[in-house]
Amino acid sequence: MHISTLFLFQSVLHSASTQASEINKLFGQFTIAAVLLLLFVSLLIVYICIRFRDRPGSPLPEQIGKNNRLELLMFIFPVVTIAVLLVATLRTINRVMKPAEGQPDMIVTGHQWWWEVYYPATGVTAANEFHLPIHKNLLIEFHSADVVHDWWVPEFGNKMDVVPGRNNYIWLNITQPGNFIGACSEFCGAEHAWMRIKVFAEDETTFNRWQEANKKTANLPSDELSMKGMLMFQSRSCGTCHRISGTPSTASVGPDLSHLFSRSTMLSGMMPMNEKNLQAWISDPQNVKPDAKMPDFIFSRDTVNAIVHYLTQLK
Amino acid sequence: MDEIMPSSFAGATPVRVLNRDQKLLQWISSVDHKQIGTMYLLLSILFLVIGGGEALLMRTQLAIPNNHFLSPEAYNQIFTMHGTTMVFLVAMPAIFGFGNYMVPLMIGANDMAFPRLNAFSFWMTLFGGGLLYFSFLAGGAPDAGWFNYAPLNEYNYSSRPGVDYFAIGLLIAGIGSVGGAINFIVTILYYRAKGMKLNQVPLFVWMIFVDSFLILAAFPCLNAALAMIEMDRQFHAHFFNSASGGSALLWQHLFWLFGHPEVYVAMLPSFGIFSEVFQTFSRKPIFSYAIIASSSVAIALLSFGVWVHHMFAVGLGNTVNGFFGAASMLIAIPTGIKVFSWMATMYGGSIRFSIPMMFAIAFLIQFTFGGLTGVLFAIVPIDWQLTDTYFVVAHFHYMFVGGAVFGLFAGLFYWFPKITGKMLDQKLGTWFFWLFTIGFNTTFLIQHVLGLIGMPRRVWTYPDLPGYGVMNFISTLGAFMMGTAALILIVAILKSLRSGVVAGKDPWDGVTLEWYCDPQPGRKNFDKIPLVRSRRPFWDLKHPENPDWKNARS
Amino acid sequence: MNKMMIKMLVFTEVFFFLSLIMAYVYMVYYGDTRSAGEIKSLHISTTGFFTFILLSSSFTFYIAEKNYLKGNVKQLKIWLVITMILGAIFLFGQGNEYYHLIREQITLGASVFGTNFFTLTGFHGFHVFVGLVLLSILLTMSLLGDFNSNQSTVIQTVGIYWHFVDAVWIVVFTVVYVMPRFMDMKT
Ligand code: HEA
Ligand code: HEA
Ligand code: HEC
Ligand code: CUA
Ligand SMILES: [Cu+2]
Repeated sequence: MHISTLFLFQSVLHSASTQASEINKLFGQFTIAAVLLLLFVSLLIVYICIRFRDRPGSPLPEQIGKNNRLELLMFIFPVVTIAVLLVATLRTINRVMKPAEGQPDMIVTGHQWWWEVYYPATGVTAANEFHLPIHKNLLIEFHSADVVHDWWVPEFGNKMDVVPGRNNYIWLNITQPGNFIGACSEFCGAEHAWMRIKVFAEDETTFNRWQEANKKTANLPSDELSMKGMLMFQSRSCGTCHRISGTPSTASVGPDLSHLFSRSTMLSGMMPMNEKNLQAWISDPQNVKPDAKMPDFIFSRDTVNAIVHYLTQLK
Repeated sequence: MDEIMPSSFAGATPVRVLNRDQKLLQWISSVDHKQIGTMYLLLSILFLVIGGGEALLMRTQLAIPNNHFLSPEAYNQIFTMHGTTMVFLVAMPAIFGFGNYMVPLMIGANDMAFPRLNAFSFWMTLFGGGLLYFSFLAGGAPDAGWFNYAPLNEYNYSSRPGVDYFAIGLLIAGIGSVGGAINFIVTILYYRAKGMKLNQVPLFVWMIFVDSFLILAAFPCLNAALAMIEMDRQFHAHFFNSASGGSALLWQHLFWLFGHPEVYVAMLPSFGIFSEVFQTFSRKPIFSYAIIASSSVAIALLSFGVWVHHMFAVGLGNTVNGFFGAASMLIAIPTGIKVFSWMATMYGGSIRFSIPMMFAIAFLIQFTFGGLTGVLFAIVPIDWQLTDTYFVVAHFHYMFVGGAVFGLFAGLFYWFPKITGKMLDQKLGTWFFWLFTIGFNTTFLIQHVLGLIGMPRRVWTYPDLPGYGVMNFISTLGAFMMGTAALILIVAILKSLRSGVVAGKDPWDGVTLEWYCDPQPGRKNFDKIPLVRSRRPFWDLKHPENPDWKNARS
Repeated sequence: MNKMMIKMLVFTEVFFFLSLIMAYVYMVYYGDTRSAGEIKSLHISTTGFFTFILLSSSFTFYIAEKNYLKGNVKQLKIWLVITMILGAIFLFGQGNEYYHLIREQITLGASVFGTNFFTLTGFHGFHVFVGLVLLSILLTMSLLGDFNSNQSTVIQTVGIYWHFVDAVWIVVFTVVYVMPRFMDMKT
């Protein structure tokens, strides 16, 4: 079974944050107005088409091309509608996007095609999967390591572009615990489709527990095979791109792997995290996720097994 | 008391009967506005088949989740080329085609003001398009999307030459468009038949006039941006690379400063076509000509003040976003007035449901719907939710296809008899209409829902989330209905050319001057021309008892 | 008609230069902090002199045009030549400025300032060059006797273009050379 079928039906209209509720209130009001307007126009057109259709012998219609009163009405009606909409819009903009203040709770960096996550308060670094506490005003900041990306979780309301050279931010106050999925929503190159987002919205204690677990340095290899795997990892250039805390590898070209196996998905939501998928990935990355920024290595089966075994211990 | 006079003052082109048997060479070297118009239209149809074929490939790939029919590289090239083709090589040539063919006929002129500039514009468009497509053979087509955002379009992220072909191809085609626009403006200003005031030209001509100014103001912004990206890519300049002090957002500003006006460039001529169609098939003068004409000027001006609505999510701050949101909503006012005016034109008329009219009626509803989703985006917070999802794809296909392309189809059926002398097959045409309209709504209505349930646009494949598979499949079915419809249209055109009903001079009981001249005019359009005294000169000629210039209410 | 055509061409070119100038302002005034230093390398007084030269070429063209309308073809030829010389001097001045900047390592690829400066002034220089080509065509035509009657609009048409190119330079000069002197730029 594919991992994503585990989730329930999602939709932007299901608000899971105060920001989303604000937006959806406006959305609802506009939808009602728009449906009424569309019905009015369509029904009137249908009526006109039936009433004024050309019948055999119908006389030449009166040649009228002007009516000042009607023209005025045609003008005033949209003006009034627009005025109302505008006021509502400006109010909601300011409620959803308040000025940023204080230290961000989470810094998200977009890379082609994965997410780097950093919690300044605790120094915890993670990748691709986001853990956030509920019922707190969270300030989230966005950086880009390369091109423009966009961070979007439909149930949370507003998305935000991740633009190189700019530090954008959003405020987020999650109102419901649960798992939410989103996706990078700005085209960012070949694998834009597989730059998905998964958020675990947790109560304070669960969130803190997760932070504690991820603050710890990565597990050391516990058996011979994983020992070999670690050696391979360090000697075969993996460390030039990845970080595993407590080891010499500190790069952030690729995702942080310190607690890799505690994640539920890999490659930005492309597939479930398990040994088989890791094996496929390490053996031939370009076959699993074509164009991903991790090169093909020519490894023997044993080497792959050892590395994978080591990685599965990084919980 | 209608004065018919020789038309010799209009146009300096030599009087020579066009020999229809001359071969290819004659077309290639032609400077006749009707031949150039026809070539533009053929070019547009050719690229419609190509761009539509690309759409079908995309929809095939997206029909089921986790599909591997296309690779990510292939998909990205195809959607980029689809958007670019449809906008620059289908919509623009179609507009120039109808404009070239019809504007001189409608204003009683014998040719465009600068026939050689006209030919030059056409060949530039063709050449630009050819260069764009040559990229497929030269190491990969452009694959950064039709708006080609920086820094993805920079050398370090797109090292293949696709983006270079994009830039140079569009620059060349853009020069063609600017040349064509200048030509239209001068023609409309100086070549009108005697007596025809600027506020008496048919609305299609008026729309082309406004459109031309839009082109003149919008294209240079794109050209500047394209020049800059080539500077970056070829000469290591730093316009858009933030790492060395450039600005990624500068590209977005420049592109949308062009891009938003461009969507109205695609739309206005269709507004013009529909205005002609509504008045002809309702047998009434167009309701509030003056307002339809002047509201287009309003749209044109406003369209330069709304570009940021494509950038609401880049983090420009509430004041900027609020301002541009307000400006975008304002466009609903002049556009709404048009929609209501067309309805008022139908009201009290005697409506004939010929195929152009059916397209016009379907357009009214579809366009209102697409316009409302547009206003929805202008509400900034809602755009934050929906930008870059399939909801946007749905919006702009309702505008582009349900609006602009429906207008071009209406124009095709309306003017086919004028261009070819034959009627476009009624029965096949009806099939085409229904199949295309149903297919279109099947494809794109459901994409609104896809956007709402979280599907981003420009993804080469998607996970099997609830609802995704089914809805995408339905969308694909609709696309293939449109494809079938398009095949029927091509059959209909070929059949009508060979054995269609001969149309005669005035098959629709038209009221404007193009129906007054010969069915297929020769090198010279008019030998004689009535003195124009109203917006419907041909009506006046047909109804001497009740001409417009005596009727205060039209 | 020809005049209307060239006016429309000017109209569209205005937007092209506006885009480039906007980019310049956006990036040099408010962007990279190094720009302020690099702007100091510009030679405002020599370029000011060449600006004056370009402006006077607009004036000499005006005289040429006036003479043409009066039917004074000989004077027309003379003033055309003078105009061309002035235009050429301006281009020489621009080349001189480029030479000095490049010697100071300020190039198209070196920095944001270089990128914007060379692109903006380069496109303008290209327009001056096109103008010179047009002027030389006019000169040839007048030597061949095409302007012996004063009915043609060609001269006025080219004139509109030439005056436009000069006007653009005034704006460019103001934005690139003059304004930064009065601005409190980030350093
Ligand atoms: C022909 C093309 C066309 C047309 C006519 C329009 C018309 C409009 N568009 Fe659309 N638009 C596009 C083509 C078009 N658009 C394209 C191609 C894109 C995406 C590009 C890309 O990203 O690739 C886009 C994207 C787009 C966005 C950005 C979305 C995003 O990426 O996040 C926005 C935001 O404001 C927008 C708004 C509007 C508005 C307000 C109108 C208005 O002009 C609509 C006005 C019409 C009506 C409102 C209906 C009739 C009116 C009435 C019946 C009167 C009563 C109505 C009221 C009082 C509301 N459009
Ligand atoms: C005028 C403009 C225009 C028109 C007419 C169309 C027409 C169509 N478009 Fe297009 N579209 C765009 C402009 C347009 N589009 C733009 C600007 C984009 C954005 C690109 C980007 O993001 O960069 C886009 C993107 C776009 C996407 C989103 C891609 C993505 O985000 O990943 C989709 C997906 O369904 C789509 C589908 C279609 C379909 C099914 C049609 C149909 O209406 C087409 C119907 C026509 C035919 C089907 C032709 C018939 C062909 C034949 C009879 C020959 C058959 C040949 C072969 C099979 C080889 N379009
Ligand atoms: C050139 C840089 C580079 C090198 C070298 C590299 N990687 Fe990667 N790696 C990446 C990038 C980039 C990704 C993210 C790919 C994506 O999702 O698009 C990644 C992803 C991964 C992932 C999945 C992480 C996740 O959270 O989904 C694993 C596991 C991994 N690499 C292991 C390794 C191992 C083991 C090696 C050495 C044999 C290695 N990498 C060498 C760049 C590199
Ligand atoms: Cu990152 Cu799309
Ligand atoms: Cu727009």
